[in-house]
Amino acid sequence: MTDASPGGDAAADGGHEVARGGDDHGHDFPGTGSIKRWFVTTNHKDVGILYIVTSLFFLVLGGVLAWLMRIQLLAPRALGEGILAPVAYNQAVSAHGLLMVFWFLSPFAFGFANYVVPLQLGAKDLAFPRLNALSYWLYLFSGILFGVSFFQGGTFSGGWTMYAPLNVPTFTPDVGASTAVLALVLFVASVTVSSVNFLTTMHRMRAEGLTLRNVPLFSWTILLTAWMMLFAFAALLAALLVLSSDRLLGTTYFAMESPAGALLWTHLFWFFGHPEVYIVFFPALGVMAEVFQTFTGRRIVGRKWFILAMVLVAIQSFAVWMHHMFLTSINLQVKTLFMITTIGISLPFDLMVFALIYTMLKGKIRFTTPFLFVFGALLLFIIGGITGVFLGAVVLDYEFRGTYWVVAHFHYVMVGGVTALVGGLYYWFPKMTGRMYDEFLGKLHFAVYFVGFNLLYFPLFVAWETPRRVFDYAPELAPWHQLATVGGFVLGLSFLIMFYNLFKSAFVGDPAPDNPWEYATTAEWAVSSPPPLENFDGTPTYRDGHLEFLDAGEVAPSEERSGGPTGAAVSDGGVTASATRAVTADAELPTADATEVEGPSHASIWPFVLSAGAFLVLLGLSPLQDAAFPEGMVGAAYATTTVAGGVVTLGSLVAMGLEPFRGPVFEEGEAWPFAGIDNGKVGMWIFLASDVVLFGGFLGAYVFTRVAFGWTGWEPIPSDPIPGLVNTYILLTSSFTVVLALVAAEKKHKWGLVTSLGATFVLGIGFLVNKGLEWQHLFHEGLWLSTNVRASTFFLTTGLHAAHVIAGLVIALYLTARAWRGAYLEDSRSVEYFGLYWHFVDIVWLFLFPLFYIL
Amino acid sequence: MVTELVPAAAFPLQSGLVPRGTRTFVFESIFEVFLLLGTLVGVVVVGYMLYNAYKYRSGSGNGHIDDEDRLVLGELPSGSGGGRKLFTSFFMSMIIVVSLVSWTYLTLLYVEEGPSDAESLDVEVEGYQFGWRFTYPNGHTTDGVLRVPADRPVQLTITTADVFHNFGITELRVKSDAIPGQETETWFTADEPGTYTAQCYELCGAGHSYMSAEVVVMPPDEYEAWYANTTADNATASESSTDESVAAKSSLRPAVVP
Repeated sequence: MTDASPGGDAAADGGHEVARGGDDHGHDFPGTGSIKRWFVTTNHKDVGILYIVTSLFFLVLGGVLAWLMRIQLLAPRALGEGILAPVAYNQAVSAHGLLMVFWFLSPFAFGFANYVVPLQLGAKDLAFPRLNALSYWLYLFSGILFGVSFFQGGTFSGGWTMYAPLNVPTFTPDVGASTAVLALVLFVASVTVSSVNFLTTMHRMRAEGLTLRNVPLFSWTILLTAWMMLFAFAALLAALLVLSSDRLLGTTYFAMESPAGALLWTHLFWFFGHPEVYIVFFPALGVMAEVFQTFTGRRIVGRKWFILAMVLVAIQSFAVWMHHMFLTSINLQVKTLFMITTIGISLPFDLMVFALIYTMLKGKIRFTTPFLFVFGALLLFIIGGITGVFLGAVVLDYEFRGTYWVVAHFHYVMVGGVTALVGGLYYWFPKMTGRMYDEFLGKLHFAVYFVGFNLLYFPLFVAWETPRRVFDYAPELAPWHQLATVGGFVLGLSFLIMFYNLFKSAFVGDPAPDNPWEYATTAEWAVSSPPPLENFDGTPTYRDGHLEFLDAGEVAPSEERSGGPTGAAVSDGGVTASATRAVTADAELPTADATEVEGPSHASIWPFVLSAGAFLVLLGLSPLQDAAFPEGMVGAAYATTTVAGGVVTLGSLVAMGLEPFRGPVFEEGEAWPFAGIDNGKVGMWIFLASDVVLFGGFLGAYVFTRVAFGWTGWEPIPSDPIPGLVNTYILLTSSFTVVLALVAAEKKHKWGLVTSLGATFVLGIGFLVNKGLEWQHLFHEGLWLSTNVRASTFFLTTGLHAAHVIAGLVIALYLTARAWRGAYLEDSRSVEYFGLYWHFVDIVWLFLFPLFYIL
Repeated sequence: MVTELVPAAAFPLQSGLVPRGTRTFVFESIFEVFLLLGTLVGVVVVGYMLYNAYKYRSGSGNGHIDDEDRLVLGELPSGSGGGRKLFTSFFMSMIIVVSLVSWTYLTLLYVEEGPSDAESLDVEVEGYQFGWRFTYPNGHTTDGVLRVPADRPVQLTITTADVFHNFGITELRVKSDAIPGQETETWFTADEPGTYTAQCYELCGAGHSYMSAEVVVMPPDEYEAWYANTTADNATASESSTDESVAAKSSLRPAVVP
């Protein structure tokens, strides 16, 4: 079982070599040593590594900003003192928060998720490998866009919570502030694509016998995180799109004069913001659970209660957001309700903490680097949790609001989570690189890190009376801030030890066996380090209660190999099979597609190109104000960038559609609750669920604003509802033609298909033309986006719907062109998925029409 | 401690355990209890963790994993026993948290009720980038200095002229959001005459760090004497803390603001 034997090492090395040697198997797929590989790869393990490396880069960036702040805070600074000017300090505060929460924490966790989850599930890759690569590239380019914002007069300076109306150009006029908001929009696009991908994969592609309740805890946390991300980030997207529109197009949702605009932002933001706390913390919890089990040698205490607690938290996380708003004008009843839900959501965490602690009892605890980090993380989380209860008491929260108590508390929780994830990095490093890290340096890193952490954040509790984001504080608090600054440098520098250790070990560390941790149980440890390109040789199954790999076509349980105990057979099986993988892989592929004998694809350049295009579009749009580019050369350059980006984006979308790309082959295993439904369809449904929340956010904003304005004094913007009514009929008719298209495709009736799709396209154009005329009419009446908030809600919400129609028409055009050339008669699924989307867009209109034309 | 608090929650009116008084008194009473219990729980839990981590360290011989319990690579995940201990701890923590917070809720009701209109002094507070204006019942407005009498509740009605601010006087434990288009209310009573500092607790722009005001708590008779001399059209600048700092602060405002 232990793989420390020389034979195990040799075998592991063999697997390693084969993994590299086997790269030619994917068509045109370069090896890991080639730069090109990293631009075209769609393999989940490569993407995982890209995520981790990139997120660590953003950790350094966010960390340097934190250092600047801590230097500024060495002493109370009068105006003009200190290394940062006031606006620069505000930018550092804002960018630090945004970078750490969005561009470091979640992507770092999702690096592990990308690498480990398919292995733990027994899948060869994620359901949509190209979309996975797309998520990564969108993430990277969103980060670059954020970086660019620093050089456009200064980045956003209104805090990571972006409170209104400071977030509109009246108060933060820099172009960079708009760019930062657009960077967030791009980031949310990445998260949404990623969530859909993970949810589809995790629900649909589990090995036989791996029912949801049998999924390892790390994968469980990722599953719940992905569900929370899907909905929470859709709400954030609504908030960000409205904000972008306020900044770029001149709508007035959040303007100072808007009724309740500031309050609207706090609701939209915190509806996202509180689930976000668990989104960043859950993966850390998953790492803790895995590492605790592995290094105590015991299964977790109360596993099903642990899972149940997490499910409850994930659901309830959407019902606690107003505890961030106890000092706003919400009334006592609402405060009481949210105090109760807040206390309620804290209790499951007590259970989880106790479960982890009790898991240690009677174990054989090995204090390796990963364990030290997660053990430390649990200690820090306990302190973060206890200080959080203080904030749950509303009377105390009244005084802690806006102070360093909050800062200290959430750093204990969130950076406590980072601590666990760093443990995860050490834990999976041997699996990812095939090399062991240096244990001594790892422990040294922990010691310095832990001291630095507490030296940094604990004094902030003592100095809690300092207002947040203020650098001119009461002089008697200075010693505590100086201690914290020293701690900040210790904490930051401790990462140098890690970077040195991991960088060096990746090249010259001892070769890692398949399973370097004696008591690890999850499937990633049953394959070579690093795992072969397609993860498993043979099909993983748990049908007999433990992991086995079936050879191609094998129905009976895997035969005993060399008479060893089952565990050894499994472990060896992974390696043995990897030595012969070229044969077995080819042998099993025909099950996927009778006409194909090649393996699944692993390379596509289009996710990269598409993301670059989106980057250019948003960069080009960033200087817009009141929907106009600035005058002169600069404006022309930006406008050109937008157009060029648009061409690249559209072109790469079409190229991606036409590219022959075979997704991962998988035999249907456990797929609750989506058994028997195609991956693509599940993905589409999940995406539409997030789109429901997006429109929900817009409609919520509309209703909230209208109630604040006075519901009855608010007249619909179009005085004449007839154009809207006509459009309702047009859309309903087009829903019908889409159904006809699918029927024609299923009957293999080519011209029926082309005609129906063409009719849908024409009807959609009719809808847009009619709407265009209506808008032009309103414009001449003096009503436009920026006229007043009433007009803003009308044009923006129906405009978002129109954008959905336009996206649908682009797809319809593409489908029509392909159908003309005979596509979709054998496989009508694309038409069906488009139909789902189109029906959804129609249904949304059925809500918009009465709300914006009649009521 | 816990056993004392539970009856307090059950019979709030009969016992003196629900703190009532100035905001400072209320906050300090509750904060002390939380700090004490929080530290106690923290020390017990962390101590227990460290003790067991040491006790069951590999090689200590205290842990015993027999062959049946041994974790095996590729097994389907399952849990260990120990559910009873888990639930006992869980319910204990639940009782502590729920009773503590319920106890503070009774104080919240007291704080939310506020002082009666008859006895309190009403002051309107308006935040702006980057300072505070105070308007007294007679219409007198000051900028940058709030004068109040000691030992009399002060009722604040808070709003803003531009962005989201938050008005707080940390020593007097009073704080509330200043939201565009909205009014929030809060109150405080100052025991001791003296000078305190009000600050902004919500990031509001370049001058956020310097968005403070002086709060002068005066002996009641001195206050009355001062107040009697104020009128609605009293110049605001005369009460500004220092003209120089006001000029410096206004330079931090974005140029586009009218």
